[in-house]
Amino acid sequence: MSSASNDPVDDPSARIVLQPNGRPRPLSPHLQIWRWHVTMTASILFRVTIGAASGAAVLVVGWLAALAFGPDAYAGVLAFMGSPFGLFIGFGLTVVLFSLLLNGGRHLINDTGAALRIKPADLLSNISVWGPVPLAVLFWVLLFVSGRVSL
Amino acid sequence: MSGAARFRNGVKISERHGAGEWATEKVALLILMPLGVWAASTGFTLAGAGYEAVTGWFANPLNPILLSVTALVFFGFASLAWKVIIEDYIHKPGSKTALLALVNLICLVLAAASIFFIVRLALGSAPLPAGLGA
Repeated sequence: MSSASNDPVDDPSARIVLQPNGRPRPLSPHLQIWRWHVTMTASILFRVTIGAASGAAVLVVGWLAALAFGPDAYAGVLAFMGSPFGLFIGFGLTVVLFSLLLNGGRHLINDTGAALRIKPADLLSNISVWGPVPLAVLFWVLLFVSGRVSL
Repeated sequence: MSGAARFRNGVKISERHGAGEWATEKVALLILMPLGVWAASTGFTLAGAGYEAVTGWFANPLNPILLSVTALVFFGFASLAWKVIIEDYIHKPGSKTALLALVNLICLVLAAASIFFIVRLALGSAPLPAGLGA
C-alpha cells in the first residue's frame, strides 16, 4: 500500500490511514462524526455483561453459602427466589449468562480476526445484543411449563 | 521497560506482560463457553429444587468438580477483564493501583469462598457454623 486509502469501496472494514512509521492503521473514530453502530453497542454491552456477571457470581456464592449453612438458610433463599422479585432476579441472571455466552462468543470470533467486515460483524453484534432476551424468555417459559417454577 | 523494542513479523511485540494477560483472558473466556452452557443446564435442573435435591446434585463428584473449575476460571477471567476496564477509564496511578488491588482481592476471596463451600457440600459436611470442625 503506497498511499492511504480513504475510499470505503477499497476498504469496507474500516478507514485505513498510513501512520508516520509507514504502517497502515485504522483511522481513529472521532466522537463528533462517528455514526452509532450496533458493533459499538455489542462492545459496550460486553463490558456491562462482565460487570453484571460479577454481580451474578456474588449471588451464586451467596447461594452456595446458604446451602453450606444448612436447610434453614437454604429455605430462606429458596423462598426469596420464588417470590416475584426473586424471579425477576433469576430472569436477569439468565439474561446475563446468555449475554456472556453470545457476546463472549462474538468477542472470541472477532479476536481471531474473523468476521470483522461490516456484514458478519453486524450479524454477530445483533445476535449478541438481542439474542440473550429471547433465550432467557424461552428458558423461563420451559421452566414454568415443566412445573419446576411457579408463581 | 528497558531494552530495544522487539518485533515479530514486522509487528512490535508486547514489552512486558500485556500480551500474555490478553491471551490468558481469551483462553479463560474460551473455557467459559462450554462451562456456561453447562451452567445454564444446571440452573434449569436446580431451579426451585429443595435442599435434599441440591445436596444430591453435589453428591455426584462430576458436578462439584465442574462447578469448582467454573468458579476458578470465571473469577480469573473477571479479574483480568476488570483490569482492562479499569485501565481504560482510571488514569490516576494511585486510584488505578488501589482499584486493581481491590478487584484482585475481591476475586480471590470469592474464588476461595466458592471452593470452600463446594468442597464442604461435595463431602457432605455438617451445616455451618456448627459443623466448622467436621
